[in-house]
Amino acid sequence: MTEVAARLDGILRYFGHVKALDGANLEIHSGEIHGILGENGAGKTTLLSILGGIIHPDAGLLEVGGSPVRLQSARAAWKMGIGLVHQHFTLVPGLSVLENLALGRRHTGHRWTLHLKEIRKEASQLGELTGLTVPFEASIEELGVGDRQRIEILKALLRKPQLLVLDEPTAALAPAEIDQLFRLLRTLAEEGRAVVLVAHKLDEILSIADRVTVLRQGRTVMTAVRADVDTAILTDAMVGSSRSEGEAPMTPARNALPALGQSSDGLAQKRESGNRSVAKLKGIDVYSPQGGLALQDVGLEVMSGEVIGVAGVEGNGQRELALVLSGRQQVASGKLEIPEHVGFIPQDRNREGLAADFDLTENVALALHRNPQFRSGPLLRWKLIGLHAAEIRSRFKVKSSGVRALARELSGGNQQRLVVGRELSRLPELLIAENPTRGLDFTATAFVRGELKKLAHDTAAGVVLISTDLDEILEVADRVFVILRGKLTPVPSTHDSREAVGAMMLGSRLEVH
Amino acid sequence: MRRFGQLAVAVLALLATGIIAAGSLWLGGYDPLVAGAAMFQGSFGSGTAILSVTMVRAVPLIVTGLAVALAFRAGVWNIGAEGQLYAGAIAAAWVGLSWGSAPGWFLTPAALAAALLAGAAWAAIPAFMKVRLGIGEVIPTILMNFVGIYLAAFVVHGPLQENRGVFPQTDPISDAARLSVLVEGTRLHAGFLIALLVGLILWAGLRWTHFGFQVRSVGASPDAARVSGMIESKRVLLVVFLSSGAIAGLAGGIEITGVTFALYEGLSPGWGYTAIAVALLAGLHPAWVVFTGLLFGGLEAGAGAMQREAGVPAAWVSAVEALVILFVLAGDQIRRRFGA
Amino acid sequence: MPEVIAVVAFLEASVRLGIPLALAAMGETITERSGVINIGLEGSLIAGALGGALGALAIGGAGGGILVGALGGALVAMIFAGFAVGLGTDQIITGTAVTLGGLGFTGAIYQARFGTTGTALTLPTLPSVPIPLLSDIPIIGSALFNQPPTTYFTYVLAPVLWYFVYRTEWGLELRAVGEEPDAAAAAGVRVKQTRFWATVFGGTLAGIAGAHLALAHAGTFAENMSAGRGFIAIAVVVLGRWNPLLVLLAALFFGAASALQFQAQTLGLAVPYQLFLAFPYLLTLLALAGWVGKSRAPASLALPWPKDS
Repeated sequence: MTEVAARLDGILRYFGHVKALDGANLEIHSGEIHGILGENGAGKTTLLSILGGIIHPDAGLLEVGGSPVRLQSARAAWKMGIGLVHQHFTLVPGLSVLENLALGRRHTGHRWTLHLKEIRKEASQLGELTGLTVPFEASIEELGVGDRQRIEILKALLRKPQLLVLDEPTAALAPAEIDQLFRLLRTLAEEGRAVVLVAHKLDEILSIADRVTVLRQGRTVMTAVRADVDTAILTDAMVGSSRSEGEAPMTPARNALPALGQSSDGLAQKRESGNRSVAKLKGIDVYSPQGGLALQDVGLEVMSGEVIGVAGVEGNGQRELALVLSGRQQVASGKLEIPEHVGFIPQDRNREGLAADFDLTENVALALHRNPQFRSGPLLRWKLIGLHAAEIRSRFKVKSSGVRALARELSGGNQQRLVVGRELSRLPELLIAENPTRGLDFTATAFVRGELKKLAHDTAAGVVLISTDLDEILEVADRVFVILRGKLTPVPSTHDSREAVGAMMLGSRLEVH
Repeated sequence: MRRFGQLAVAVLALLATGIIAAGSLWLGGYDPLVAGAAMFQGSFGSGTAILSVTMVRAVPLIVTGLAVALAFRAGVWNIGAEGQLYAGAIAAAWVGLSWGSAPGWFLTPAALAAALLAGAAWAAIPAFMKVRLGIGEVIPTILMNFVGIYLAAFVVHGPLQENRGVFPQTDPISDAARLSVLVEGTRLHAGFLIALLVGLILWAGLRWTHFGFQVRSVGASPDAARVSGMIESKRVLLVVFLSSGAIAGLAGGIEITGVTFALYEGLSPGWGYTAIAVALLAGLHPAWVVFTGLLFGGLEAGAGAMQREAGVPAAWVSAVEALVILFVLAGDQIRRRFGA
Repeated sequence: MPEVIAVVAFLEASVRLGIPLALAAMGETITERSGVINIGLEGSLIAGALGGALGALAIGGAGGGILVGALGGALVAMIFAGFAVGLGTDQIITGTAVTLGGLGFTGAIYQARFGTTGTALTLPTLPSVPIPLLSDIPIIGSALFNQPPTTYFTYVLAPVLWYFVYRTEWGLELRAVGEEPDAAAAAGVRVKQTRFWATVFGGTLAGIAGAHLALAHAGTFAENMSAGRGFIAIAVVVLGRWNPLLVLLAALFFGAASALQFQAQTLGLAVPYQLFLAFPYLLTLLALAGWVGKSRAPASLALPWPKDS
């Protein structure tokens, strides 16, 4: 007896000229875990936002519990029993944990007191039932990613949703935490609730979902029961035989599609000959803005021609490591030897990689202006910079309406192509890449990973890839490190399996044979 | 594409302001057409009006407008041009009076140089607070405006007061310190050329020089400038802040050496604030500031005529200038939201 | 005893000078708690002063003036919020423009109505109302408790606002909007609405402060009589760490510092008159510089929402 908890039919939604959703359908049954798959940009988050009442569809039907509804706001969605847990954490640092749990709840009592005692009681009870233990006394800033997510889910559960929707909940979790989360979701489903889970990693969905819906380019291309599908079928549905519009063709053969969610066969034993040390760190200490040590006694040597991968759960010092390695930040103590010019692909391409109101040429100039080759006395050689920019645009296939196009007009993938092209075109001895494929679709992701490998292996540069995506690290890197609470630990080649590295990311140890 | 959009915003903002302005006059019982005609006559209606009133009134607006535009381009909210202007005026008057016997080729530049330094010094306190202490510059620069006005008042009541001791003003500065007149029989002085020169320097500097690029980068995206451009933001901000103050100070010095030849209370009817409207309407482009400066110069020149002929209080003009700022901001925002 | 009289006069002046600041600053505290910095507060203040004057004359009583002043302050704040919160224009420049417009319009309206002759307007004043018993306390009694009603309103408002911000669900939502508007929105809070009304509230209080200036303090209206108090109020919010109770104290402290100028005058110090006038502004600068790093502003202050993509 399948009871339909919610249904979306023929949803259409534009963002300006871009069609984010073009006839998407979704049917969710009570008591099931429903997985939504699709590559970045396929429309998953948009669909969820509509379900959660945050945005409105331009066309299409939304039914909850059998009757059509128009959700005017997030609050209306909550009232209908739809609880949305967002991809990016939505906890308020200035408030206490209890106040965060209290935020937005309006179902009982008056508004002129905060009801914190009641909330604490409810939250403790709920925590015992579900295993979601949360430190009530802590301040939000101290908590790690896993804890924060538990609070998010608890916050949602406190409002007693019949339909729980989670947007990419596993993105920042270590493998063991993902298992814990999935066990919890199964418990909730068994209670009769409906759970919707969005991911772009196949194996996660395959391990937990009862039914699967695949989105591609804003459309639902497949809905199936778990038993009826496998990796190949799902991959095919996600990617399709035609490439996504507007993106350049993939680079051939060697850098073909990344294996979605599949662990690599261990690490390639590639090490370019001519072992020259490109960068050396020893005993590096760096303080975080809050005052604690973000990096503790970090040591690392980057050799030419290799890609070093730094894996870790978000918030363990990756930012500081990236800034120190690329020369953008001072160290409190320790020895730092890096080349004079270090290329840097920052993780926030919109704010740190590019200036939105600058055009392509000016954005390229950001990386070139310190180079005497592009200066002539007090002036900048704009003509030369312009030529350079045009070359980057063509070689890295940045799709834009010309070299005078503003960075804000480019799509995410093209923005990243611009950043990557700009940094790579200087042929740096050392390049630091920080979560470089976040939010990019397959083609752009494959492109970026390919370029990183090419830079190291073809030009004998040293590349440091810092990523929260373990599969990306395992696919691209020659040597792997794990960063945990500011400490950097090399992964021995005997223990480079996904499980072992995942365990290291969380700080547990596996036996050494 | 970018240019066209900005021009459209400027034109539409003026249009919207005009409508509201006319509406408010009508509500107040004034005849908008009579007022408008009087304003036009007073600002652009005759050769004398243009040369002796509008262009002369435009000079401090262009120069302070350039000061504000430069600061805003780097993301420095210098609301203190008024105080910096007064500081420059005090310095220029002091030089003009103290070294009155020096030859002209030395005295005039010396007075203007003193004005530049004084303006920079006036900006130094808020600049230091911003760069070293991390305190937002808006309130400090505004506070310094009040201090500057009171300092000028003190000076003309006290140390630099005229020898007669009757009025709160200085004696006239010597002829050697005065800027020459550009057109015989008018009040148009060499300060106008100085204003154009400053505009040219800023335009070329921002567009072509290495430092100019750094300024623009810090203003366009402080994060990208720091991370991708590896630009030392603090140094850039400090230089821009002080330069902006210096240019505003220069405006004060030009007024003393070119128009009033003496310092008195109420020298500036709020030029430092009007400069914000001048700069924004020009899209912060130094070249366009010359034109918007002339426009606002005409507005203020016509305000006097408008009060005489149509009875509209002159204070209303500053309200209109504020409307221009609001509509330019709104227009820019709308333009950004809906592409183009 | 002349010394006691001098102390009482000093305390009385401190309260008198501090209250308009306190009102405006408490209003701005609520505004800034929602993430909006209202540089147009000065515009609300002067609008309140003119509104107070016009209202008192039209309705024939100081009470009516306070009401109209409050409305004037609210109106100016609505214009500011319409642009800065509704459209998302830059808060700093929008606020500056609103202040300039406020000063210009009030000046124009005053000149149009009362001419430019320069003779001061006489307004019905807000009388001091002594509170029985409390006002008899030696020394501080008359300073604190023999004041116009708006002063008592201010005393009561401080703890009320404190409770509102820290102990009610409305206050929780306000704080959430000011720290992390995305999170507040995700929890179902209406961010723009919250910011809008927080801003209008601040402007209303500033309007009352302006009316108080005209009706209880000066007894007249003059162009630009706000004299930058709106800006000083914004600095007072920083000094009071965005906490209504501390803000009241900081404002009274400021009042005391400003009251020093009268004391110095009676002491016959040979300091130029203009230095006294400049003193409050210099003091504010010093206070801002000295207080750096000791408190943290609401994280989303001055940032537009939704963020520019």
